[in-house]
Amino acid sequence: MEQYYFKDKKILLVDDEKALLDMISDFLREDGYSQVKTADSVQSALDAARQWQPDMAVLDVMLPDGDGFSLFEKIREFTNIPVLFLTAKGEDEDRLYGLGLGADDYMVKPFLPKELLLRIGIILRRYYKEENPLVHLAGSMIDFSRAEVIRDGKHLPLTAKEYEILQALYRSAGRIVTIDQLCEAAWGDNPFGYENSLMAHIRRIREKIEKKPSRPVSLITVKGLGYKLVLEG
Amino acid sequence: MKSTFRLIRRFVKILLLSLIGLFILNVALLIFVFTQAEPNFGGWTRANELGDALIKNSDGTFTLSENGTKILEETSAWAILVEDKTGDVIWHSDNLPGEVPLHYSVAQISYCTRGYIEDYPTTTASYGDDLIFMGYPKDVYWKHMWPAFDYQLIANAPKLVLLFLAVNCLAILFIYFASTSGVLKSVKPIVAAIEDLPAGKEIYVKEKGLWSDLAAALNRSCEKLMRQDRELKKKERARANWISGVSHDIRTPLSMVMGYASQLEESMSLSEKDRHKAAIICQQSLKIKNLINDLNLSSKLEYNMQPLCLETVNLVGIARQCAVDFMNTDLDGKYPLTWEMDEDMPPCIIRGDKNLLSRALNNLLNNVQSHNPDGCAIAVKVRKDQDICSICVADNGVGISDAQMERLQNTPHYMMSDDGTEEPRHGLGLLIVRQIVLAHHGILSFRPGNEGGFLVEMKFHCDSLKEK
Repeated sequence: MEQYYFKDKKILLVDDEKALLDMISDFLREDGYSQVKTADSVQSALDAARQWQPDMAVLDVMLPDGDGFSLFEKIREFTNIPVLFLTAKGEDEDRLYGLGLGADDYMVKPFLPKELLLRIGIILRRYYKEENPLVHLAGSMIDFSRAEVIRDGKHLPLTAKEYEILQALYRSAGRIVTIDQLCEAAWGDNPFGYENSLMAHIRRIREKIEKKPSRPVSLITVKGLGYKLVLEG
Repeated sequence: MKSTFRLIRRFVKILLLSLIGLFILNVALLIFVFTQAEPNFGGWTRANELGDALIKNSDGTFTLSENGTKILEETSAWAILVEDKTGDVIWHSDNLPGEVPLHYSVAQISYCTRGYIEDYPTTTASYGDDLIFMGYPKDVYWKHMWPAFDYQLIANAPKLVLLFLAVNCLAILFIYFASTSGVLKSVKPIVAAIEDLPAGKEIYVKEKGLWSDLAAALNRSCEKLMRQDRELKKKERARANWISGVSHDIRTPLSMVMGYASQLEESMSLSEKDRHKAAIICQQSLKIKNLINDLNLSSKLEYNMQPLCLETVNLVGIARQCAVDFMNTDLDGKYPLTWEMDEDMPPCIIRGDKNLLSRALNNLLNNVQSHNPDGCAIAVKVRKDQDICSICVADNGVGISDAQMERLQNTPHYMMSDDGTEEPRHGLGLLIVRQIVLAHHGILSFRPGNEGGFLVEMKFHCDSLKEK
């Protein structure tokens, strides 16, 4: 089981459709999130953001008294919480605009509830990673705050590249991360031709986190495509 | 402007042919006139005949025979006989005009032989040593009084005729070009405008000069075309906006249908049968979701309202991301995906729109899902052959019948067809893939897969320069 240390985070949902707010709140609560609040307008969302001080916001773009993009900018004036846009505006330019403002994710309606929950989880895990003391794997633990792996009582330090690669895998834990995404995380925007280096780093990470690096159970290869980090409860 | 030169060439050809034709015609007419007309020397013959008809009597007087009188009557002419020795008129016809002298010096005789006596054109005939003058009415003959030409002139006559003809031809050509260049100059903007018209350019020709009517008509036609074009674009935009609006408004309600259906699908308080029904609602909602996404993009691509955001992209990376996204959402594992690519394959770099290319591949994967609700295996194969990168999505699912394949390849989609839509048509998924592949100058092909099922292949031309 994955750790759910972030499930007590406060999530603010903003949408003009009350029925949709109720539905998402239900899903979040069923998924274990204990603190969910809803708002159906820019004004009520701003009030809630100031007084309740949420840890994350899910914003619609079309609101009765304004738009989600300007709401986002107003929220940014006093808090730096992560924001996910959940909107019916699915055009590329809207998505690029939203992400360009600095939003952490952009989802277009209609959506699968499972996907929304996964994305919220990824954002919270990424944003509040320091609060997660240890990431539990089958044969070891990762302490991102110290950039080290603890295995059999030994502390094995992670190199900068290993840290970046493990971070990228951890952000999408349980899901496949492509070779290209990992290269980009470790080497930046133009990551062509680093695949062999990546393989070498993965081998070294496995030597640190796996009990039997030749038969990995935590860092799984998906042939030709990428890798997956499997967490333990 | 090619047509203008063709026009000039044609005109010149016609002109030269006309000149040759005219020359031949004139020669023919000349021959005809000369053969038909009475010989010009009729007057001289008559003078001879008159001489024959004048009989000298034994007493020294003269008598004109009946034949002679007839000649004079027919020609309304008069006649005199001038004596050789004295220059006196020794006989004359009864109708001699009073102004005609009755005595002639040698000089006068010389002049009268060549020309006229008191403006009466004359012909002569010898009568022994004497001379007969026949005088005709003033309007019967015109006489050439100086019947001598420079010898060289006559000797060079053939050359002169040719020179005359050549000078004439040049003069005519000059006149032709002078007159037609003006016409062509005024036609030039009209020709240019007509040539620009099919390119959709807005044209305006000044409505003055020789072709003002034509220019005005052309301007009106252009205005009409532009107006129609604008209206068509407006309609197309309205249609695309309408599709965009509807697809936007449908998203929130559909979110709730999908959300609750997926919740019910997993609800343990429902019977297996009811959960199955919820699963069907969920699946069908997903289809509607894909449909509205496709409809919107397709209408935009169709009406060129979706600008391509071109950047340098690695096709292998895009394909890998799509495959992984698909695997990450296939939580039940109903669609096991295998990735087939040579390990040492270089990146396939092209100039392309990353979002659209991802969309094409996602559509192919979603298509497999919608056509095989019971699940099937999918293989994504990426190959690079010289400069051509091929991405192939194959499944071992239900596949496609020959008739369906035939229809897929030969029937236009209803979005591209203006005939009725009663006939069942294929979905939008492949249409969008085709539009996107074409927008990247690629090739799309589909056929039954090797293991049954369906196989779609997209081929793109890699940018070898970028790769270096």
